[in-house]
Amino acid sequence: MKHRIYFLIIGLVFGLTSCIEIIDDVTIHNDGSGTYKYTVNLSASKVKINSILALDSLDGKKVPSKEDIENDFLDVIESLKKKSGITNVDYSMDFSDYIFKLQCDFKSIEYLQDAIKAIVKEQSKEKDSEEYNYNWISWDGNKLMRSIPELDIKQTKSMKQEDIDLLKTGNYTSITRFDRPVDRFENAKALMSKNKMAVMIKTDPYSLTQDYNLLENTIYLTPQK
Amino acid sequence: MRFYLSLIALTTVLNGFAQQSELLIPKDAVTVFSLNNIQLLQKVSLDDLVSYEFMSEVQQELFDGSTSGKTLKDSGLDFDQRLNVFYGKGDQYEISGFTFGMKDKEQLFTVFDDFEKSKSPYEGVELYTSFFNNLLIKGNQGLLIRVEPTMEKIDEITDSIWYARGFEDPWMELYYPEDDYEGEFDGEMEEEMYQETFDTEDQGNYFPPDQEDPLKKNYFELRDSVNTIYQQRYFSFVCDELFKDGYNLMKHDLRFTEHIKHTSEGIFYLDNSRSVQKAQNLWYLQTMFPTLYNDVKELYTGNVILGDLFLKDNAVEFKVEARYGQELGSIYEKMNNSKFDKDVLKYIHKDNSAFFSYNVNLREAYEQAYKVIVPILENERNVQVSYNLLMLELINEYVNKDALFDTYKGSMFGTFNGIRKIKTKKIIFEYDEETFDYIEREVEAEEDMPIFTLGFSTERGDIPEKILKHLSRLTSRFKNMGDYWVYEEAVLDAASLYMIHKNGLFIFTNDEDLAMNHSDGYGADALKGSLAKKAKKSGFMYGHIDWSRTIDHFPRDFFNEEENEMLDAMRGKTGNMELTSSKTTKESTKFNLVYNFNGEYENSGKYLLDLVNSVYVISK
Repeated sequence: MKHRIYFLIIGLVFGLTSCIEIIDDVTIHNDGSGTYKYTVNLSASKVKINSILALDSLDGKKVPSKEDIENDFLDVIESLKKKSGITNVDYSMDFSDYIFKLQCDFKSIEYLQDAIKAIVKEQSKEKDSEEYNYNWISWDGNKLMRSIPELDIKQTKSMKQEDIDLLKTGNYTSITRFDRPVDRFENAKALMSKNKMAVMIKTDPYSLTQDYNLLENTIYLTPQK
Repeated sequence: MRFYLSLIALTTVLNGFAQQSELLIPKDAVTVFSLNNIQLLQKVSLDDLVSYEFMSEVQQELFDGSTSGKTLKDSGLDFDQRLNVFYGKGDQYEISGFTFGMKDKEQLFTVFDDFEKSKSPYEGVELYTSFFNNLLIKGNQGLLIRVEPTMEKIDEITDSIWYARGFEDPWMELYYPEDDYEGEFDGEMEEEMYQETFDTEDQGNYFPPDQEDPLKKNYFELRDSVNTIYQQRYFSFVCDELFKDGYNLMKHDLRFTEHIKHTSEGIFYLDNSRSVQKAQNLWYLQTMFPTLYNDVKELYTGNVILGDLFLKDNAVEFKVEARYGQELGSIYEKMNNSKFDKDVLKYIHKDNSAFFSYNVNLREAYEQAYKVIVPILENERNVQVSYNLLMLELINEYVNKDALFDTYKGSMFGTFNGIRKIKTKKIIFEYDEETFDYIEREVEAEEDMPIFTLGFSTERGDIPEKILKHLSRLTSRFKNMGDYWVYEEAVLDAASLYMIHKNGLFIFTNDEDLAMNHSDGYGADALKGSLAKKAKKSGFMYGHIDWSRTIDHFPRDFFNEEENEMLDAMRGKTGNMELTSSKTTKESTKFNLVYNFNGEYENSGKYLLDLVNSVYVISK
């Protein structure tokens, strides 16, 4: 999870440091299969992003072109399509409002987790890390444990104050949906939908970088009829 | 009174003898920064000094830990002598380094601790060498110098030896060791190969292919040998001139000799006539049309830029004189023979953060350049040049120059009016509390945008109007709003660009207020008083920046760490920067850049170096 977040966000948030909204939406059916949706919305900073993308380099680092970003994103999509247990991979890239969406169905939580780990490994220069053995989500049919996206806190330590302020104005929304009502959950900051079928936690990207336990939650469902 | 005059004369004479480090500047130096008041530099740490780009060529030995925690004061330098940093590149070789006065040799070698004494071929001169550089000490002056043959020279010599020995193209051998490549080998392919070979992350592990005979050098070994031999040859050549013939830049260029006598904190010298010879775009001219190249070189004869840097209590002043030869001067003189367009002032708000005006007469400059350049081209006996000359003469006859130069006369102005919030749109996600399902909704938003205005004088505004009219037929984003035109979402896909054609000016701006409410000018809020007078009276160029309004608005993201450090030093200080220029004559144009500030800099020596480095980076 750490690397997934690292991969999708670090490039955009820490690279372009803009007001950002991220939605992480998982639906888990009773049989363990489900749908995963991930949305990054940078539309509130499109002037800043356009001005940065107009440059060749920034602070001594090469600024990726729209084509570079598109190609990198497509690489991930293509790789995801090839992973076992993953189907119906869909995506959209909106370069006028800078909204990026990715969606896929998974046969079970384990397949989703393995697919993401494999992609992160492919994309990362670090081929052997303890993080690859770490399971960030588990499901036993009645209880879901979601663990933490451990963002690299060191990154924020080297950030400028105005960039940190921008991260604080962003939103990170994590939603978990089920086929049957939720009985209870452990994270005090989480909210339950009125129909009791979904749990949401909202925070900002900066807080997430400072406290990797923020999204940790165990959700208990009502018994299956 | 006579006593005081005698004292002044004596001091001048003594100073004249004391300041001699400049005598070691080689005549091949094209750019020189000479720091006179180097007392200021005593507080500068050596680590800071070697981090500057102008020191980059000579920094390897210095930046190895021997400088850690030390300041220039601990380096054995004589602060009564000038510190002269120089750089020069000719057709055959490139030199870089600096000359300095020496007070304590022992201390000096605690900094230059990688140098080893070598046998000096010059009487009265000690020679020390390291892997890259050479240190020569004569009396109490030192010269740290690196001499490198140019890449072009090394390629030329290596290739000629390589092919003379009957070898094939080394690049082909490198890329197609097994295959028989029969296709065309073009420049683009060579460039690709070069990029692949040297720009990869593994370049440190790259080795050229072995030869069957270990005694036979491969292409790269041969190239290294040529490099070494020519490095030694050119080093000897430069040093022979300096130490055997006593010929240096002071003797080579009397303009430099005169200029270095100035008592300003620092002087700057750039011989543009020699600098132009190294310009890459003239390489083709030099190779294909040598006569034409010589004529163009002749045109640049006498082209030199001389600058003085003055550090005052609350101001830094940079005086620059650009000198040139008669023919080039005649073009500049005509070009700058233009009156200030008073209507420009109507569009500069009295509370602007920064503005500039630039007055040139393109028509006269064109006519004069035509008179100067056509005879040069006529002398060239070459088909391609003749063809180009014919085209030039035909265009000159057929193009309606009145329409062209009345549309764009050459005079322009620009303003920066700070950062304003502009209205944009953003997408938000709205959640249904029942299910936490979400939908996208477009809402109004605000983002920061720097506000710029750029305008030029025109007598034929009807011509750009024609273009806009046609563009408005092509896209609905182009609209005629009566007093102005608007191109929606033109700037960074978010802000509108407004175009105003009034008062003999054609103006582009992203300032909505200017377009909608002040298309005839700011009226009572327009720039008046002393600043307006200065802009009118300045030569062809005037610029003014109000730091307190501008510096805090500079977007940090667009500058690197070092530049931001310099900007940070200026932040929080009120002051202004003003650029004025003299009337241009056939001989020269003078520029004066003054930075007035309130508040003090903690380390004025570091600030001086910052400025020197900025000029070096710009001029290199």
